[in-house]
Amino acid sequence: MSAGQYTHDNFTKILIRSQILIALLLLLTLVAADFWFPSAYSLKAGIHGVSAILAVLVGTFLTHRAFPLIKGMKVNLESLRRWLLAATLLNLAGAISGNWIYMRYRGQDGPRDWILAHRPLFHNVLMEFKEFISLFPFPLMLSATVLLYYYGLPMQIRRDLCKFVGITILVSWSFLMLGFVVGLILAKLRFV
Amino acid sequence: MKPDQLQQPSTERTAYTGPAVAASLSVLLAFFTLMVSHHISRLSPGLDNMVHSFGYWIPGSQGSGPDGSIGSYTGKETLALFVWFVSWLLFHVLWRKQNLSLSAWTKVFIAALGLITLGFFHPLSDPIVLFIAALF
Repeated sequence: MSAGQYTHDNFTKILIRSQILIALLLLLTLVAADFWFPSAYSLKAGIHGVSAILAVLVGTFLTHRAFPLIKGMKVNLESLRRWLLAATLLNLAGAISGNWIYMRYRGQDGPRDWILAHRPLFHNVLMEFKEFISLFPFPLMLSATVLLYYYGLPMQIRRDLCKFVGITILVSWSFLMLGFVVGLILAKLRFV
Repeated sequence: MKPDQLQQPSTERTAYTGPAVAASLSVLLAFFTLMVSHHISRLSPGLDNMVHSFGYWIPGSQGSGPDGSIGSYTGKETLALFVWFVSWLLFHVLWRKQNLSLSAWTKVFIAALGLITLGFFHPLSDPIVLFIAALF
């Protein structure tokens, strides 16, 4: 069934941008609320949550730029590499803040102790998986960013290189989503 | 990008795919190092301490009480960072003027990433790790 002809009229643009803005604010609220949670570690949790969700948002936006790259369509590489650099820095911030909050996770009477006492599989399988795959997006994003700056704008005419960078972005996003969802599950199970 | 830039001949650097393979292979090796060091650290407290010692330079790597510490995770990260940067530099220097098949490499890259990811899933990886550990 056809969804009708797609047009970029002014109303559609306003609608799409409003939807994105609302989603952005709501998703940020989801994690920024951590700052006011009744815990001595709410600041650390909030910083990790905000950097993680910003990394997810920019990473998801980048998947929409990766598809044209893979398909061999013309892409504004100058803009793309700036977005990739932003995604790399956000993923680095997510990893560093993740290390920071991980200290409390492992601390005395912290979430790890509670989870091991009540639902050990969530730590032994889920957390031990999450803590490593959450490190994957940063190096992948960094390698894609470095390649775009290394090859420069003439890379546009190299279909194979564009495709490879596009695939790297998609792969990075999938690890980002995996890590984010598992992180949310664990934070829901036992907050720091 | 202006249209005339598209019609210009590619630069010398653009001609080689080696740097792209070098960048991604080094990332794979870093993830592999993470996986191996993680499994080694789980075999005994002595091995865990050994892996942990590589990460002492990271703030928060040691400590106790409610604030906790990052523990041997810092050692795994340090080893992975070391392997990542050294191998990247090495492969880049070796392959910066080489053309390697990106379509073939993409398949290997994705398959290896998938395998390493499964390597962190304990129900699948533990029997293999214990089998390998029993050989020593």
